[in-house]
Amino acid sequence: MTPAELAEAVGALLEAPAGDAFGCVLVDLPRERWVAAATAVRDDAALGLTMFDVLTAVDESPAGFDVVLRLWSPAGRHGLVLRCRCPREDARVPSLTGVFGGASWHERSVHEMFGIAFDGHPDLRPLLLPDDFGAHPLRKDFVLASRVVRPWPGAVDPGQSAADAAAARPRRRLTPPGVPQPGSWPSP
Amino acid sequence: MSLDDALARRAGLPPRSRGVIALLEENCTVCMLCARECPDWCIHIESHQDVVPAPAPGGRPRTRNVLDRFAIDFGLCMYCGICIEVCPFDALFWAPEYDYAATSAPGLVHEREQLRAWMWDVPVPPPLDAAAAPGAEVEAAEAAERSTKR
Repeated sequence: MTPAELAEAVGALLEAPAGDAFGCVLVDLPRERWVAAATAVRDDAALGLTMFDVLTAVDESPAGFDVVLRLWSPAGRHGLVLRCRCPREDARVPSLTGVFGGASWHERSVHEMFGIAFDGHPDLRPLLLPDDFGAHPLRKDFVLASRVVRPWPGAVDPGQSAADAAAARPRRRLTPPGVPQPGSWPSP
Repeated sequence: MSLDDALARRAGLPPRSRGVIALLEENCTVCMLCARECPDWCIHIESHQDVVPAPAPGGRPRTRNVLDRFAIDFGLCMYCGICIEVCPFDALFWAPEYDYAATSAPGLVHEREQLRAWMWDVPVPPPLDAAAAPGAEVEAAEAAERSTKR
């Protein structure tokens, strides 16, 4: 099935527009339809999307979190991405463990890394982090301690040594892309 | 595996193998772009400025950046190749060397001498496919030539 045929078939089945995300057929769904849509594309014989590939999330702050599910058809050799946005203040999405058993570990991982709750998941224990970690490290507002304590090698200007850069007035010091200005970090 | 086998295996590596990052320091202008783009903060560059006297009487002296230190911490490097892509002067290259294990984390920090030595192993880029378009720089040069003839 070519991407165009897949997009048409999925769009007709889910009655939702199928877009293109970096060469993948992608459908955005509201939370209410998340489980029903995953079940529908799994059970559709023509699509054959029976293999659970991955479930993960993206922090799209301030708009919220995108939970992303990728399914694969071993027979047709095509893949489909389903995406569901939930707001930051109400970060919860229905669990897919009833549709794909393999989603359980992925949802536990997303739960600890992003703090997204999966309604209906039997056991949302942390998967990789210690039980008392107490933060969600893949959220954009999580401060990476190693980036705070280590000096950035790119702060050295052309013609400078590392000692020159360290001695430069703090006002002149460059900060790397993606790391907030000192003082603007939320207190831990 | 014998040494001969190991050498034969290295010779059979495909082009563009991501073994290690080599530095052609003659091309490096200490612009710091690679160190600033590196997502892992694993490139350390230090330099100083030299004054070049005026080439002709009446001219003014120029300053020039001279590389003092170029080190890559391969304990942190994730082999993404962003530094190689971002380098505007073609000073960084993928070299096929892969057997540089160390017994401690500091042993994985390789300085400019080692990075330059790896440069000797960088293979010649493979020729273009028979049906491939010519390189962008060739097309640009041909377009420039056509426009000047007109």
